[in-house]
Amino acid sequence: MNWKIRRIGQAVFTVLAVLTLSFVMIRMMPGNPVDAFVARVGPQLENPQEAYERAETYMNINPQEPMHIAYVNYMADMIQGDMGRSMSQNAPVAAIMAEAIPWTLFVMSWAVFLGFAVGISLGALMAYWEGSKFDSALTGYATTITSIPFYVLALFLLMTLGYQLGWFPTGGRRPEGVAVGFNLPFMMGIIYHATLPVLSMFVASGAASLTMRGNSVRVLGEDYLRVARLRGLSDRTIAIRYVARNAILPMYTGLMIAIGTMFGGAVVLEEIFSYRGMGYYMIQAVRARDYPLMMGTFTVITIAVVIALLIADLTYGKIDPRAGSEDREAF
Amino acid sequence: MTLSRSDASTARPADDVVIELRDTSVEYGMDRGTSKVLNEVDFEVQRDEIVGVIGESGSGKSMFASAMLDAVPEPGVTTGEVIYRPEDGEPVSVTDLSKEELRRFRWEEVSMVFQGAMSSFNPVMDIRTHFVETLSAHDYDVDRGIERARELLSDLYLDPDRMLDSYPHELSGGMKQRVLIALSLVLEPEVLVMDEPTAALDLLMQRSIVSLLEEIKEKHDLTIVFITHDLPLVADLADRLAVLYAFEFAEVGPSEDILENPAHPYTRALLNATPNLSAPLEEMRPIEGESPDPVNIPDGCSYHPRCPLSDEQCVESDPGPYDAGPEHDVHCHHWEQSVEDIDVAFAETDERAFTSAAEKAVDEPLVSLSDVEVTFGSENDGWLDFGEDETVSAVDGVSLDVYENDVLVLVGESGCGKTTLGKTAVGLQRPTGGSIEYRQRDIWEGSGGTSSLADEEIRRALQIVHQDPGSSLNSHQRVRTILEQPLKRWHPELDGNDRRERILGMLEYVGITPPEDYVERYPHQLSGGEQQRIALIRTMLINPDLILADEAVSALDVSLRVGMMDLMIELQDAFDTSFLFISHDLSNARYLAEKTGGRIGVMYLGRLVEVGSAERIIQNPQHPYTKALRWATPELGEEAREDPPIRTIDIPDAQDPPSGCRYHTRCPEAREVCTTESPEFVDVGDETQIQRSACFRALDEHPYWQSDPIADDS
Repeated sequence: MNWKIRRIGQAVFTVLAVLTLSFVMIRMMPGNPVDAFVARVGPQLENPQEAYERAETYMNINPQEPMHIAYVNYMADMIQGDMGRSMSQNAPVAAIMAEAIPWTLFVMSWAVFLGFAVGISLGALMAYWEGSKFDSALTGYATTITSIPFYVLALFLLMTLGYQLGWFPTGGRRPEGVAVGFNLPFMMGIIYHATLPVLSMFVASGAASLTMRGNSVRVLGEDYLRVARLRGLSDRTIAIRYVARNAILPMYTGLMIAIGTMFGGAVVLEEIFSYRGMGYYMIQAVRARDYPLMMGTFTVITIAVVIALLIADLTYGKIDPRAGSEDREAF
Repeated sequence: MTLSRSDASTARPADDVVIELRDTSVEYGMDRGTSKVLNEVDFEVQRDEIVGVIGESGSGKSMFASAMLDAVPEPGVTTGEVIYRPEDGEPVSVTDLSKEELRRFRWEEVSMVFQGAMSSFNPVMDIRTHFVETLSAHDYDVDRGIERARELLSDLYLDPDRMLDSYPHELSGGMKQRVLIALSLVLEPEVLVMDEPTAALDLLMQRSIVSLLEEIKEKHDLTIVFITHDLPLVADLADRLAVLYAFEFAEVGPSEDILENPAHPYTRALLNATPNLSAPLEEMRPIEGESPDPVNIPDGCSYHPRCPLSDEQCVESDPGPYDAGPEHDVHCHHWEQSVEDIDVAFAETDERAFTSAAEKAVDEPLVSLSDVEVTFGSENDGWLDFGEDETVSAVDGVSLDVYENDVLVLVGESGCGKTTLGKTAVGLQRPTGGSIEYRQRDIWEGSGGTSSLADEEIRRALQIVHQDPGSSLNSHQRVRTILEQPLKRWHPELDGNDRRERILGMLEYVGITPPEDYVERYPHQLSGGEQQRIALIRTMLINPDLILADEAVSALDVSLRVGMMDLMIELQDAFDTSFLFISHDLSNARYLAEKTGGRIGVMYLGRLVEVGSAERIIQNPQHPYTKALRWATPELGEEAREDPPIRTIDIPDAQDPPSGCRYHTRCPEAREVCTTESPEFVDVGDETQIQRSACFRALDEHPYWQSDPIADDS
């Protein structure tokens, strides 16, 4: 119990450290964005003093304030969810994030869960028929596909299925001319637009099946499996409660880390499909030197990773009794 | 059954057989030919007996066990007949059962406990679920079954509620083993097959489980087949003994007969090769050579390449069973000659004089440990440290001197800190308290906060030989490269030819011939015994003053152990080094210490409880714990078996050691004063024999004698 509180404390500490780092980068770097902004905007304004106020609106930092006060103000703003104002989109960063995140989550969670579900099933079958043609063919396929970066595959899919065959849209995230809301045409349209991005991530994720295969083969050689067979348990019980459960356990943390890092993958993917999610905005921000937006996406990704790992840690003990009683981190 | 144990084997009608094997073989197809891991054996298990099957590793004993349930691991094939005769009903041919029939037969009629008890449970399910699953898979009434499980668990001195609600990782090895025995009996089988059920456990636990087995057997009307490499362990438990050698039975007969009058040369040699506590050392002799490869079993008698009596006949014809007495069959053409000759053939003794430990004590110590403490784990130091406060004191205030040309053997149960103490003595583990001096110099001096010694001379002088030679030799290097490294490092003046000469000479010295052939091999091309000898030579080439040999013979076959220990003793003498041996086995400890005139140190929960000459520790132990270890070391041919001299079987948690004398929770002699006061060493030796014991009972005048005994609640 005590351990859980401390684990949460550690997560909060990590988030605060990242926010502090972002403050340091914005405020203290030589030629930092705040100074650059004031230098750029200042001369255009009648009242140069106003440049400092604008800087505070955009970046939550007023360069005239002493460092410690600026820091406290910055942190207070960030914790309250005020991440400044985007210069290129001319909208609050928090609002842009709130609008973009669901789309990214939608695409990436589909890709990750499909990848794991199919990977685990295939891996289990490969282990069951270890050494068969099915096993060697799939192992070869998975190894090849894992070594191809997903964005190469994405470009390939975009070219063939999108442009040449015209089966799927080449960009955008929702159908045009359809009422937004919970109606069937809109829902179908969303899925239709998400297919290529999901497909390119999913096809490229062969690693899960290989991990599952390896884990299952290891579990199949365990003594407790031999004892279970001798005890006369049914094949179904053995497959599900003995092999599958013990083989999937080590992959659980991997899944949680994947959820955390899928935001990172989204950056490239959304750019390729001009899918207006968080990653898309991050690239836009870099292009436009839009520091507030960039730092906003960066902060959100960090928090997402920290939360996913926190959940993984706190729940691992529930699914694996060995971790629960020893109060250890899951990885 | 009302038959008593002693007359069971003779008075029982001969046809009351519960499992019968006829011409049974187990074969594995391999690239280099068919591997016959059980070679056309005939065997009968009598109802309600305990039969001990003895065999070294690679003798086919596990296959024999599996064949009885037709449960040989894939892709092995069982051929021949395995017939099970239930008490009432028709005989069943196990090999012809359908998959579903076999599923019911196993565990309901014949169940099995095997070696890997540590990993015989699904780690993510609690113990209760294991019982429930088993019961429902066989359509037994779960409530009644759990009741039976509770009864079985308490018969095995376990707390049923605690066990059923535990997960496997929460139990100690000994507990898991006993839970597995309960699990194997929950469906009330007729026969229990146990394959090395205690091999991974400590002596005390082994012995306790073995003594529980007899009660369990009587209570539940069981037939037990107990398979082990450890002859003394089953010798007094079993009604009959069967000796397996090279995938065939060498000899089968009533226990007393086999022990007192073994007829097969292998059995006789094996008895001679088994270290024990009472036999004169001169009678212990290793068996030359190694067990045959299952792909390439010698023609005729498979023992003939190692047998001193072998002749033409042994090579040409397979020895059928000869009758060597009532119920006693032996597979040897020359068994009559064997009975007369074998002991003579092995009885050349070499007399070597050793200075006794008492004389050495006047010298300056080579390595001196004073009040050494080693603590593992870290205390929690603030909110940024996310580890629990979990410190384990592995060694708690031990003082010890090792002299020039000395031998000291540390014995104790696993987790008692003997390996940690050994590593601390040779500077591989930095103590958290106390000091270690090598020739009056603190070995950690000048090494700052690092974990390696600063002084190279001391590093050279203190060396180690590991338990598992397979993993202590680099598998990618040839023997030559492995052995050249210490020479290059410590004798840079030698050129390539000198080094080669030296290595070849050493190999020949330890009996690895032809050395020219062996230096080009990789470790996996060597047998276990050869690997261990290479590891030993590698250490010797450094020319150390003290060698820590951590369970250096435990991984070897019984028949090779005495040979390896003899070699170590010989090298110790020739190279003028001292040895610090670590062993969990009192018989090995006695062999090493008595042959060299060294000492045995007994450790319990991080403390040294008794030190003394081999003779004193074995013949006249003062500390109750040493007495318990002594009891736990089975003796060949020992008839009377008294009750365990311990109150509880399980060791207390090392994270939370008992107060006062740490042994008081298990000690049958413990009194109230033992729970609060910790005893100091008392000298109970005399001019010729050293012995010091940390027990109040060694003192004539002590409040102990007026203190109240601790109430015996077990």
